Amino acid sequence: MDNSNKEKSSRALTEHFFRNEYGKMVSVITKYIGTENVETAEDIVQETLLKAVDFWEQNEVPKNPQAWLYTVAKNLTYNILKKKKHQLTYRNLKKGEQNLDTFEIQLTSDEIAFDNQLKMMFVCCHPSISENSQIALILKILCGFSISEIANAFFSSNETINKRLVRGRKQLRKNKVSFTIPPNLNQSLDSILKTIYLLFNEGYFPSKKHELIRYDLCLEAIRLVKILVSSKHIKNKSDCYALLSLMYLNASRFEARMNADNTIIEMEKQDRKKWNQELIQLGIQNLSLATQKKEPSIFLILATISANHCISPSFKETNWQEILLLYDKLVVLENSPISRLNRSIPLAIVKGNTAAIKELISLEANSDIGNHHLFHSTLGEFYKKENNVKKATTQLKKAISLATNKRDIDLLKRKLLTVVPN
Amino acid sequence: MKEFMLFIRSEEKPKANLSPEQLQQHIEKVGSFIKKLADQGRMKSAQPLEMEGRMLSYKDGKVIDGPYNETKEIISGYYHLLAEDLDEAIAITKEDPRFEEGIWRIEVRPIKKVEGIN
Repeated sequence: MDNSNKEKSSRALTEHFFRNEYGKMVSVITKYIGTENVETAEDIVQETLLKAVDFWEQNEVPKNPQAWLYTVAKNLTYNILKKKKHQLTYRNLKKGEQNLDTFEIQLTSDEIAFDNQLKMMFVCCHPSISENSQIALILKILCGFSISEIANAFFSSNETINKRLVRGRKQLRKNKVSFTIPPNLNQSLDSILKTIYLLFNEGYFPSKKHELIRYDLCLEAIRLVKILVSSKHIKNKSDCYALLSLMYLNASRFEARMNADNTIIEMEKQDRKKWNQELIQLGIQNLSLATQKKEPSIFLILATISANHCISPSFKETNWQEILLLYDKLVVLENSPISRLNRSIPLAIVKGNTAAIKELISLEANSDIGNHHLFHSTLGEFYKKENNVKKATTQLKKAISLATNKRDIDLLKRKLLTVVPN
Repeated sequence: MKEFMLFIRSEEKPKANLSPEQLQQHIEKVGSFIKKLADQGRMKSAQPLEMEGRMLSYKDGKVIDGPYNETKEIISGYYHLLAEDLDEAIAITKEDPRFEEGIWRIEVRPIKKVEGIN
């Protein structure tokens, strides 16, 4: 490089350009070389990006960075196909050699690129793969997270995450998973949506450490559902819209939930002016798309509950009656202890703390929810409101003993202080 | 202005484990660091080096391969820099954003001026 660089203008890459292109390229290459070689596809794309770094760092970003990447990736794929001839099955090689001509078209057209990413989602969420591995595969392959980024986001180790990836890829080989949209689409779609929702919740769970990565998890979950929403293969998209709505609405409160000192602010005390109105609007729009078909679903109910919070001017003025009715419907569809525990909050507001306490005591007797600190902190809160200091203290102490996370323990200790000040 | 050679040292394939996001940040940050110095006329050259190559030495009357370092450390690139003195060269080097990635070492060495040549 010499001083002639002065004349060149700086070109900036769009945000998350590499990450987004990574998922697109791995998907398309996998289409050519088969899901059993997905790791090779990941390597090819990483190699492509490394070449770009060496070149662009010295010579500035080219005019069309996308085309630059695709050409390099295509050539690397060709070389691998030639080199690995004996390792790849005849079918894949033949398919690959025939179709590699359309490689760049596959990537440049948004529609086809979305389609390939959609197929990749079905591959990553193949029923033979465990939930843990499904999420790890989605993050690694479709979202371009590195092993250590996934480990950070999940408070896990590189080794554990790598094991999950290895196990997941092994299932793809063992089951000869094809790169197509499965015939029983609806069942697979349910598991994709569930996995994406888990991914979103991993990101949504507040933590100052790695906060940036965690918010990115939420954004990636939203991006993946947008791909589902834009697909013409999926006929009934009600659930996709509902999940998208739920994530937008919850994400609107992302920043308002945390204090500067890394403590959680409960919804009652959040500054509602900090809620992101743009995201709330998107949430509401998608909610109305989701309700076009009148089928109740878990995501639809959760999104409607979240929307009720979002549109209310204050905690007090929230339509708790409506929220309680929604929870009543939710527990019909999903009678899980955690749903019933969440239901106890509007129940206490609408029907009084005593009714909620009664409900929780019966819930504890009929499930193992008593092992969870949230159960005891919620029950303690109700006792506190009833001025039953003794029982409130017992419950909060029990919650502290069960909580494993420092952040939760801190929050609970502060609550305990409001019941029995030192 | 004096001339300096900066040897960028790292393990082999230093960027292999960086994520796409980190790689993009590398281009943006390190790229603009190099560009800024080039625009000021201070960076005469900046290049990465290929991972392949040979170490040659002379033994028993002939040129042989090796000996190779026992550590995995290699020189993965270099900067050819102009600065007032060693202190300034070090100050400039410290601003290289690649240090944030935690995988690089940079050796700053003044180029020796030999009198009588040129």
